[in-house]
Amino acid sequence: MAEKSAKRGPAITCTGLAKTFGAGPAAVAAVAPLDLTFAAGEMTALVGPSGCGKSTVLRMVAGLEAPSAGEITLEGAAPSRLQAAGELAMAFQDASLLPWRTVRGNVALALKLARKPVDIAAVDAMIARVGLAGFEGARPAELSGGMRQRAAIARCLVTQPRVLLLDEPFGAVDELTRARLNTDLPALWRAQGTTSLLVTHSVREAVALADRIIVFSSRPAQIVADLRVPEALSPDTPEGRALMDQVTEALSQGWEDVPASDRHAAQ
Amino acid sequence: MSRPRTATQRSKGKLLADTMSLAPRLPRLSREGAQALIGALAAVVLWELAARWLAGSYLLAGPVDVIRYLQANSGLMGRALAITLENAAWGFLAGNLAAVLLALVVALAPRSQPVVAAFALVVFCLPLVATGPILRVLYGPGPGPQITLAALAVYYTTFIPLMVGLRAAPASWFDLMRVYGRGAWTAFVQVRLMAALPYLLAGLQIAAPAAFLGAMVGEFTGAERGMGVLALRAMRSLDVEATWALATVAAAVAILAYGALGWLARKLTSARPEVLLAPPPATAVTGRAGRALRSAGLAALTIMLMLALWWGLMEAFGLNRFFAKRPDDIWTFLVTAPNAADNRAILWEASAQTLSYVLPGYVAGLGLGALLAMALVLAPGIAGAVLPVAVALRSVPIVTTAPLIVLALGRGAAGTITIVAVMIFFPALVACLQGLRQAPGQVLDVMATYGAGRMTRLIHARLPAMLPAFFAAARMSVPAAVLAVTVAEWLATGTGLGNLMALTASTSNYNLLWSAVVLVALGSAAGYALAGAVERRVLARVAPEQLQ
Repeated sequence: MAEKSAKRGPAITCTGLAKTFGAGPAAVAAVAPLDLTFAAGEMTALVGPSGCGKSTVLRMVAGLEAPSAGEITLEGAAPSRLQAAGELAMAFQDASLLPWRTVRGNVALALKLARKPVDIAAVDAMIARVGLAGFEGARPAELSGGMRQRAAIARCLVTQPRVLLLDEPFGAVDELTRARLNTDLPALWRAQGTTSLLVTHSVREAVALADRIIVFSSRPAQIVADLRVPEALSPDTPEGRALMDQVTEALSQGWEDVPASDRHAAQ
Repeated sequence: MSRPRTATQRSKGKLLADTMSLAPRLPRLSREGAQALIGALAAVVLWELAARWLAGSYLLAGPVDVIRYLQANSGLMGRALAITLENAAWGFLAGNLAAVLLALVVALAPRSQPVVAAFALVVFCLPLVATGPILRVLYGPGPGPQITLAALAVYYTTFIPLMVGLRAAPASWFDLMRVYGRGAWTAFVQVRLMAALPYLLAGLQIAAPAAFLGAMVGEFTGAERGMGVLALRAMRSLDVEATWALATVAAAVAILAYGALGWLARKLTSARPEVLLAPPPATAVTGRAGRALRSAGLAALTIMLMLALWWGLMEAFGLNRFFAKRPDDIWTFLVTAPNAADNRAILWEASAQTLSYVLPGYVAGLGLGALLAMALVLAPGIAGAVLPVAVALRSVPIVTTAPLIVLALGRGAAGTITIVAVMIFFPALVACLQGLRQAPGQVLDVMATYGAGRMTRLIHARLPAMLPAFFAAARMSVPAAVLAVTVAEWLATGTGLGNLMALTASTSNYNLLWSAVVLVALGSAAGYALAGAVERRVLARVAPEQLQ
């Protein structure tokens, strides 16, 4: 796998994007009309309270959920175009590995689904790059939670997607493992020049991984803050801590904007 | 929420076991094996002791007598066993193929599910006692009825878990397919089929003994050779040793088939569904008027379709109206004919007799199964010995148990109620034990931190975990209870609907026979639906995640 720093990923444009679940009096507005652009080759972190609709934004970009209003274009194309071209990849909250396939089988499946030639050498190389060398033949049930998430990341990256969508991929992993994954893995997707979106609960993770952080309010998701992360900023420096405070501040502000009666529902 | 977590815990435990040497795993395996062996040996010894104690009373033949009988009659038994096994194998194949096809229909057209499932249930509830003679008339001599009855006995217990299995995959697996622009077909091949495999194997495991039962009942209805013929002959001549020998062979075949398919399932799949009983079907009893109305419409549609299919099949094969009754014949017989009131009275009388056997037996079997399961949890050492024996006895066919109980308890109400109770007791016990083991580890840990005793843990942690399995067993036991009571009435008591069906079949009173069949099938389907409705109300409280 050649190291590329070229920005291969498309710019993602959301125009008047909104999503409502259900109809009539029971309708729930998950995402208020949003106008947003994610720059080509950047990683943007989406943070916000539980149930605020940030995952819904991600799922709409992935083409898994149709917007109720507005549209999403990835360099002018609909998500379905990138899906069909095998240029999208998504990591889910649980690793979502198929339990009857080995690690190698799960990673190779992504190539098959993306209609790309299944090159076992490349599959094994990617498994080694996420630190799972020696576990190619293991089944998911034999791996720890962190190892399963690594396998899921390998499955995402093996197709060299132009758009990478990460939905709290390390949510179920302990803090130490998460910190290790956060230091190991970004180099991989940066090398591929993808446009990436990361939904996370961890302010620290957002600062460590992203080029830009968007803070959402409680449901329906509206933008409370849109912050740039200086290049190579570590959360452990004074600047990094200041940015984390800023994000936390924006988060609590987004929380307070919600009438008290709705807060319980948003949880 | 507790499920994925326990799965993670289990896999972490396995990881731990893998990283250690093989040595600690070996003694554990052999301990379980030893417990099962002790249980089996204890059962055989108890059997022999009981036989010695009752010697001379012509009730019980012990293991030694059975082995002697089998040695003396090995040729006869071998030939009969081969024939019955062949018929059972064809029925197993045909029934499971039908189950797979039905499940595929439901998977590809999910809206058809309520109608297909209801149809499958009513056909499954057709009483073997009556379908046997009817099929004999339709097929004439030959293995047709045996194979068909074996197929009818197996397809439902494969269809239901398979239908659940085809839907059992988490949503994110399907999202994964869609992210790569793949459609329903890829998801079906890559996800649904593989996810359904453990469920299919679980169904096949239950089906294997059931196929043997179906083939034997088929042989009761005028076959020339086979285990069923020998069993009927032994029972009529009160040949205690032959009856026990046949029951032993049939039980051994059932247990071996059950064990072999279980072994195959463990080889083929890594994860097996914990509870083999499928979650309950959606019913109308959910409170909302709109949904109730829709369900009523669906029920009406299902009944219309079934009547049309019934009538259409009879016409398509040009079957003689004398024995192949159509829906309108039954209507005339029960409603518009001059003696319709008399006909109805005969049916009601027989139904009342049957109900007086089946209800106490059903309640006793379920209750005793649950109670013993709870007692075993309080004494975990014994559970390891009892569970394998119970799993084995669960697969013993009713046609072999019924004669034994009749020998012991006579042809009265006690014997019939006991037959029903025994048929329900073992599945209920196994399901409840499995359910009790499902108690989430964290809740038990919380209890342990407060120093809670076994009784407290049983009541507050294990019992709620047992309820879903208990009610699933209660639902699946309804058709089993009806099968048991009709077989017992036919073979032993000479009363109730079972006897009515056997009698009318031999006297060619086909109007009454078909009416009884319709009544029994609809009655047990209604009982099943009622048990399912109760189950859903309970699950809504204790395990809402199981209701989709």
